[in-house]
Formats: sequence, C-alpha cells, structure tokens
Amino acid sequence: MIRFENVTKVYDQKARPALDSVNLEIDRGEFAFLVGASGSGKSTFLRLVLKEDRATSGAVYVAGQNVAKISSWRVPRLRRGIGVVFQDFRLLPQKNVFANVAFAMQVIGKSRSVIRDTVPEVLKTVGLEGKEHRMPHELSGGEQQRVAIARAVVNRPGILLADEPTGNLDPTTSMGIMGILDKINQNGTTVVMATHDDDIVNEMRKRVVELKNGVVIRDEAKALYTSMIPVVGQSRRLKDASGRETPDAGQPGEGEGQR
Amino acid sequence: MRLAFILSEIGSGLRRNLSMVVSVILVTFVSLTFVGAAGMLQMQINQMKGYWYDKVQVAIFLCSEGSTAAGCAGGPVTAEQQQSLNSLLESPAVAQYINDFQYESKDEAYKHFKDQFSNSPIVDSVTPDQLPASFRINMKDPEKYQIISETFASQPGVETVIDQRQLLERLFSVMNGASLVAVSIAGVMIVCAILLIATTIRLSAFSRRRETGIMRLVGASKTVIQLPFILEGVIAAVIGAALASATLWAVAHFFLGEYMSQQYPDTAFISSGQTLILAPALIILGGSLAGISSLLTLRRYLRV
Repeated sequence: MIRFENVTKVYDQKARPALDSVNLEIDRGEFAFLVGASGSGKSTFLRLVLKEDRATSGAVYVAGQNVAKISSWRVPRLRRGIGVVFQDFRLLPQKNVFANVAFAMQVIGKSRSVIRDTVPEVLKTVGLEGKEHRMPHELSGGEQQRVAIARAVVNRPGILLADEPTGNLDPTTSMGIMGILDKINQNGTTVVMATHDDDIVNEMRKRVVELKNGVVIRDEAKALYTSMIPVVGQSRRLKDASGRETPDAGQPGEGEGQR
Repeated sequence: MRLAFILSEIGSGLRRNLSMVVSVILVTFVSLTFVGAAGMLQMQINQMKGYWYDKVQVAIFLCSEGSTAAGCAGGPVTAEQQQSLNSLLESPAVAQYINDFQYESKDEAYKHFKDQFSNSPIVDSVTPDQLPASFRINMKDPEKYQIISETFASQPGVETVIDQRQLLERLFSVMNGASLVAVSIAGVMIVCAILLIATTIRLSAFSRRRETGIMRLVGASKTVIQLPFILEGVIAAVIGAALASATLWAVAHFFLGEYMSQQYPDTAFISSGQTLILAPALIILGGSLAGISSLLTLRRYLRV
C-alpha cells in the first residue's frame, strides 16, 4: 500500500538528510507504528506519503502509484485516499461535531443525503453517538480526537496516517483512541501511526518501524517500543539499562520528544 | 451541493471580513467612476461633433427664408445661384484646394440635426424650413480655409462660410485634457484597488487557514479551495462597478439631462441611456481586475 524505495529527503544541504535511503513497504490492511525520537524523520515520512513534500531522491509509491508522477491537479485524488489525524486535533472551532465531520464530505462534493446518512454512522464507529450537536470546546480531548478520526475516515480512505494522535491525551483515553484505530484497521484500512507512546506500542503488539536520524534501524512484527533483540552497532550504545533510549546530547533535536 | 457549499463559504468570508470588503467596494467604485467619466467625456465629444465633423472642415450655408445676413438681401437661394456655386466649387481655381464637397439639402440637414440633438428639447421646435441648405467641403489642407471663405462669402445666395473645426476644437482640447486627467486619477486608483483587493484576499486566506488546511488534507480540489476567495474579491469589485455605473447614469440624467441642457439648449448632450453602454464595460473591468489580483495573491499565500 505504501512503498519507499531508497528514499532520501534533504531539507537543508548542510544538515544531515531527514530521511536517508529509506526502504520500506507497508502492506494493505497492515497496522504499523513509526517510532523514534523527534527529528528522526517520522513526520517527513508522513509528509512524503501525502505528497506535501517531494523526495530528494528515490521513489514513494502509494496504492501502487509513484507519487512523484502524480500531476498537481490529481494530488487531491491521492489525498482523498488518505485520512490524516494529528496530535492537536485540528477541528474547526465554530462548527459542531456533525458539521466538522460533514465538512470533509462537503468539500469533495458529496450530496447532502449521503452526508446525512454517513456522518452519524461514522460518529457511532468512534463512539460519539448523541454528541452531534456539541461544539469542539464542549468536548474532552479524547472526544475531540474521536471527532478528528471520524473526519479522517468518513470518506473511507484506504490509508489512515496518524501523527502522534495520543500525544495530548492521558493513558486511559489513549487506549480508547487506540481501540478505535484498531477497529478501523480491522475494517481493512492500512494504519500508519507515528508515536512516542511506549505503553501503547507495547500494549498493541503490532509492527514497529524505528527511525533514527533518518535511517530505519529496526523493523519488527508484533514488537515492543524498544527492541528485545540487540540491534546493530551504533544504536546499542544509546540504550540504557531499562531499554529506553537516552537523549543524545550530541544530536540537536533529540530528546525533546520525551515526555 | 458543491455550489451551495462554495456560496456559503463566500457568504461567511464576506461577513467575517466586512470592513475590508466595504473598502474594496468603495475604492473600486471611485476608481471606476473616474474611468467612466473619461469615457463619458469622449462620448460627449462625439455627440458634439455631429454628423459632419469628421468628414468636412468648411460649411457654406446658403440663404434660407429667415436669413438676415447681408448677402441674403435677395431672399432665399435660387436654383441658379446654387448651380453657379456648384460650378464655382468645381472650377480649377477652387478645386485645387478641396478633396471633395457635398450638398446638404434642408431635409438632410433636418435629419442630421435630429440625430445630434435627439436628447435636447430643442428638436421639437425646429422644422426643415428653418435649417439652411449647405455645401460641405472637405479641404486638402484645412489651413487654407481663408481662401474658401474669401471666395464664397460674397457670392449671391451665401449666408455665411464657417470653419466648424475652429469653433469646436478649443472646447474639445479642454475636454480631452479633462478626460486625460480622469484617466490618470483612475490609473492611480486602480493600482490602489488592486493592492487593496490583494491585501483583503490575503487576510481572508489567513483567517481561514484552518479550513483550507483541512480542505487540502481531505482532498478538496484546487477550485473548491480557491474559488470562494476569488469570488469574494470579484463580488466586491462588481458591486463597486455597479455603484460607479449608477453614479455615471445619475450624472448624465440629472446634471447633463436636466440642468445643463436647460442652460445650454443649443449644445448636444449625451443621454443617460448612452452611459449604460459603459456599465458592462466597467463591471467586466472591475471583475477581471479583482479576479486576476486575487488569483495572483492566492498563488503566493494559499498552498494547495
């Protein structure tokens, strides 16, 4: 569903690449965690999938299509096939729950009757039935994130990208959100989730792709947040006794993602 | 559905940005009024030129019933007098100065008069008998007017010889100057309007960046994202253009039509209906200026 072939992304010629010769394939219907410290390239990965940025070299395939070959007027079609959820929810504050979800359908020209049928259904999937007419500021963080998820999946995308969706939420609420993402995944949607939340990763036991300084240093099925098996040279140095990564003082941008 | 959505987006954009929208309307209104004023002056010049202005330079008016000029003591021009004037015009001595000439009968004169003064009350009180017949002469060199004048003024049956251009040219140069000034002011105001529209669209795009960000993410097309902003600018400019057209119509109707034509009944003025020709031009001009400037602004400030 998503395939990276030797992808390198350089933002600044003088600095190290944000992604360095990444090869990765995520299959249809898979659930993958993208872990790594801030600055390790997780967000760049997601941006490349969305064609928000173009790879400096290498090829990114989404649903079998090389995104570099998609002309700019067809990019919207690519994005219709991808749902996105963010840490900060990004709801429209002056629209109620129903209108926020309906907005995603209105702007791509869905008819009013389809919207009336689909939106309550999706809100039920994320566990928000009966809260259609609440405004975002009347909802808890977890509920707001559920609205955001509902908006991301209302057009039935094949891929759901989640950029630290539980970053602003407490552990219990986070588990609720994970339950929803898992349910969406069960329905056949490929889910890629960038996260720092070790408890969640350990709980879910899904595929884990670990990035460090733009390089994939681990790709394990049914894995934990940190590796059980010793990994190659350079990263072993960074593991402390508890198995967690220590902030590397020499690397700018690292460590700030630890909460 | 998509149309309804775009319309509601436009509505909310206009409401949220009301003071800027009002200023866009006013600036386009003032600038297009100046453009229209220049257009009206040109139309007025054309109106005053009448039928003959561009075709001939000199008119030899022949005696008619009520003529009081010295040369008309013998009453209205006779057929023989007219014939001899005609052959004089064709004689080599005169023909070397003129390209061609035409005879305008009383009936033709009346027809041309009616066309020129169609907006003036004077047209109803004039009959063909009151208008003189004339020879209209197209000079090879308009400066040689004196020669024609000296040759014909003393001929029997000639009431007067007039160089029409000389009468009107000074007035026209004043009016042309005025329309040049109007166009210059309009130019400055239009630059002002374009910049203001660009700023307004920028503000509007900024205040709705959440919405447009989400629209991009869920795959809304470029048209759906950009059209509301562009139409906002175009609608404001078109309202300004409509106000400008209404103002020009009011000037023509109340100032020229009711005041000036009473004061100067022997001058041909444009009618208020004629200014309506300017309205579509102003609306298209305003709308396209706004459309182009907002499109260029969006290319810089709205990622799609």
